Amino acid sequence: MHPLERLVDLVALLLDSRRPLTFEQIRDKMSDAYGQEDLHSAKRMFERDKDIIRDVGVPIDVVAQDVWEVEQAYVIPKDKYYLPEIEFEPEEISALFVAARTGGEDAPAEQAVRKLLYGADGGLLAGASSAPFATEAGTTDARLTAAAEAIAARRSVRFAYRTARGAGSERHVDPWGLVFRAGHWYLVGLDRERGEIRAFRLSRVAGALREEDEAGPAPEGFRAGEHVQAGPWGPGEPEERATVAFSPDVGWWATGGIQGAVVEPTRSDGWVQVSLPAAPGDALASWILSFGPDAEAVEPESLRKEIVRRLEAVR
Amino acid sequence: MTPRTGGSRSGTTRASHRLERLLVIVPYLVRHPGTELTEIGGLFGVGQEELVEDLNLLFVSGLPPYGPGDLIGVDIEDGRVWIDMADYFARPLRLTRAEALALYLRGTALAGTPGVREAPALASALRKLEEKLGPETLGELAQRVESAEAGRPAETLDVIRKAVEEHERLRIEYYAASSAETTTREIEPEEVFSAIGNWYVAAWDDRSGEERLFRADRIRNAEPTGARFEPRGLAGAGRPLYTPTERDVPVRLLLHPGARWVAEYYEVGEETEREGALEVVLPASRLEWVARLVLRLGGEAEVLEPPELKARVGDLAHRTLGLYE
Repeated sequence: MHPLERLVDLVALLLDSRRPLTFEQIRDKMSDAYGQEDLHSAKRMFERDKDIIRDVGVPIDVVAQDVWEVEQAYVIPKDKYYLPEIEFEPEEISALFVAARTGGEDAPAEQAVRKLLYGADGGLLAGASSAPFATEAGTTDARLTAAAEAIAARRSVRFAYRTARGAGSERHVDPWGLVFRAGHWYLVGLDRERGEIRAFRLSRVAGALREEDEAGPAPEGFRAGEHVQAGPWGPGEPEERATVAFSPDVGWWATGGIQGAVVEPTRSDGWVQVSLPAAPGDALASWILSFGPDAEAVEPESLRKEIVRRLEAVR
Repeated sequence: MTPRTGGSRSGTTRASHRLERLLVIVPYLVRHPGTELTEIGGLFGVGQEELVEDLNLLFVSGLPPYGPGDLIGVDIEDGRVWIDMADYFARPLRLTRAEALALYLRGTALAGTPGVREAPALASALRKLEEKLGPETLGELAQRVESAEAGRPAETLDVIRKAVEEHERLRIEYYAASSAETTTREIEPEEVFSAIGNWYVAAWDDRSGEERLFRADRIRNAEPTGARFEPRGLAGAGRPLYTPTERDVPVRLLLHPGARWVAEYYEVGEETEREGALEVVLPASRLEWVARLVLRLGGEAEVLEPPELKARVGDLAHRTLGLYE
């Protein structure tokens, strides 16, 4: 008997049965599969099959038949086995396929979509469209999944982290959220040693995330996105505004990706002035300098001074 | 003689993989009777021969006592498949937690990228997953994951995508960061893709007679020319964003802590630790963009090589200071 046939029969039997079945009962019903003379080898084969079935995600409940738990019975509970009814439009399924293939192959994500196909109308384009998206290499790698699992299970995590400045240290974090921004995933939560909310770029985590004790709850009104750099002003919500002028060469694209940028009427020399959200810190000055002589900080005065100071340092 | 895997470890792995596949394909066929074998193959990523082999095993399977009326009915005719007598397989197996997480995370990332045409459909699909899969599969995760990309997509993206689909040459006005210059050129665009938060188009560039990547938000104007081209099979997604050329000059920089991010952001060659600083080699065919990079890094980066880059940074600083006098 082919192993696949045996496995399909076992799933069918345990799924169709109204009550849990003992190994004896299963052996009796599936005598072609487990009817060998040697009871031990039959039982071993059954155990192996049961493990395979569980590995593919089939839930098998084990029910003790007596108080000493000597005899056990098995059943696949229908409410845990079957996917709930979810209807999808063809374009939704097609979008899910694209997502599953984004950033390289990902077997679990694709298998998920295949299960969901059931709820879509037939006549889908075979294989859907290709996915012209490349996010950071290994986006759904083990670290991302581990972070997601820890958040879902409310467990704190410990990991080795190297900051953008190159400093390495061990962190212990209550994970409260995941943020995807500009091609990178960030884990946001309470850094226990530092007593502050921090964002950790997952690509800067060295090695694995290890789950520890129960995580504390996120504060009321917590929003993970607020702790990840959102624009040239640096992390967090901008508090002030700055005005920057751009040359005609760069003015048309420089602030295209920035939320909250307000473009003022073009100056007579063709330069464009833009009012931008700003926050104290180096990030904005560094960004303005990346345009070289194609950008000038107009105000505030403190920003102009910082830029002049930096320029004099490299002159 | 071909090796048989029989009851060995690899044999059971294979059986488990086939079982996993069948538990998904069978419900689909129960719900969509008469689906073509080729369509099933495409949707579920399985070859025709393998699929038929699996389906043939299926119709000796069923429920005890395995009489004619107890077995799953499989009917393959004119390349189409019908399945009946499999009520217990009428709905697919639930998503495992790993599957749900993987799909949800990838979907969230994609839905938040500005300029993704599938975004609205994807967002509604993800909402359905949150509602229907429930807390036992996704946990609290649905409320804890966000993808809020700042900004908006390049306005020329739609024109470029249409040209890619129709193999039409485009005339573009392009600002190249490498030289800090705006030029007009004709390109043959073959693929639009997104990487680290930006949209790119992989195209043949007439001006240089080479394959190039163009950042979509730096294309000021894109005009269809009406001329068609034969695609060369240029691919975008997954490739490095910088392709080394023979004209590259090795730029050697010493990065102090405030400038170390450069080694993460750009594709650097060698990296050497030097007492708290990082020495890197950055291949560059043009020095202008590197000079602007050094300028923004302030005193946090030192130019070790080449000397003309030092001179260029000095000149750039001088010209920029001119704006503040």
